[in-house]
Amino acid sequence: MKLSTRELATLAVFGALWGLVEASLGSVLKSLNIPLSGVFLAAIGLIIALVGRVFVPKRGSTLFIGVLATLIKLFSLGGVIIGPMVGILTEAILAEIVLSLAGKPRRPALVLAGALGVAWVMLQPFVTGPLLFGRTAFVVWLDLLDRGSQLLGLDVTAAIWIVLALLAIHLAIGGLAGWFSWDIARLLQARQGRSIPQTLES
Amino acid sequence: MATHSLSQSISQPRPAPRLGMLGYLAIFAASLAAVMAVPPRVLPWSAGLCLLVAALVYPSAFRRLMRLRWLVMIALLALPAVFFVGEVDRSLAGIPVSSEGLQTGFQIVVRIVVVLIAVDGLTSSVDIASVAGLLEKAGLHGLGFSIGVALNLLPSLQQSALNAWRSLWMRGGLRKRRWRSLTFLSVTIVSNALSRAEEIALAAEARAFSPQRARRLPVVTGRFDPLVLVVSLIAIVVAIMIV
Repeated sequence: MKLSTRELATLAVFGALWGLVEASLGSVLKSLNIPLSGVFLAAIGLIIALVGRVFVPKRGSTLFIGVLATLIKLFSLGGVIIGPMVGILTEAILAEIVLSLAGKPRRPALVLAGALGVAWVMLQPFVTGPLLFGRTAFVVWLDLLDRGSQLLGLDVTAAIWIVLALLAIHLAIGGLAGWFSWDIARLLQARQGRSIPQTLES
Repeated sequence: MATHSLSQSISQPRPAPRLGMLGYLAIFAASLAAVMAVPPRVLPWSAGLCLLVAALVYPSAFRRLMRLRWLVMIALLALPAVFFVGEVDRSLAGIPVSSEGLQTGFQIVVRIVVVLIAVDGLTSSVDIASVAGLLEKAGLHGLGFSIGVALNLLPSLQQSALNAWRSLWMRGGLRKRRWRSLTFLSVTIVSNALSRAEEIALAAEARAFSPQRARRLPVVTGRFDPLVLVVSLIAIVVAIMIV
């Protein structure tokens, strides 16, 4: 991946923005204990990363933004939180895979990348819980069902429906993030007076 | 005399630090492996060893762990296991708990403490430029430049976001057409940041900077890095192989 000075500076802007959002808004949302705060944080982060991809439509640019955001989060004053760092990096990798397979950035690809990236928020505790914090997958599963039943008002016995509904919510919010990132990218391109690429005019 | 000692001190190479980027990374990886891969019966020993190494290498990490937020987080992660895992078979200060739950809770606490100290120790011992340098060596060319631009942008980004928010607030804030206002707010912030980044890129290009020809960021190496690397690798293999 060869990037010009201008492209590197552009990626730095989006990486800094994602890192800043995670370090500032992330700490506030976590301390307020708002439900689905991780989902909204991931959605905002992915909007930034996807807009960045539209600005620098090269393979690896989304991952680059993710690495920058992770480093900023790692060295932020908020302290050590390994979960968000794993989250940022994995979301960036998932979005990068989707966008690399799709070729040029288009709205459907951004929607899919956003949906998969936000869906990871739901799956992450199953990976980081047992690996980093010694929690069993069963405890994580119970925790997920408990939170789902509280959020949706369903009985814990309807496990499948809770999981499906939660997954649908995650995918929908991620998809919306991808959808809006396309519009925001267009608006930004127009504001910047840059020529809108052909892929954006569709 | 003074000139002589000055020239002598200039000519003497600065001694390498005891541990460099690779050494700290190796200790971090070994600590993670020591608490993640070992079976529960060995966990207290491996965690004790990790904490001993941490106390020797970065003792200040323990002080930072004593913050209320971390203690609350550890308690929140460990307490559910104490009460909800296993059959209740004993009482602790009048509270019915299970031995299995206590054991699981203890394991969770030990793992979190080691992981938090390992990450905190790594981040406080290694600077961001060294990490960027290492990632550049791994193939992410230009990361050092981008990190520099990003860090340079952070204060101006915060100021620009504050200015844009104040402007929006003076025009009525988010009372009407909230989504539109928020969109314009974010577009203004990003637009300002992109303009600033373009100025930085132009300045770099004017100085003939090219990411392909730029000098790579130095990775700090320590005297004991090879030794620590070998010991850590052995520790990781042992941790994986213990059944």
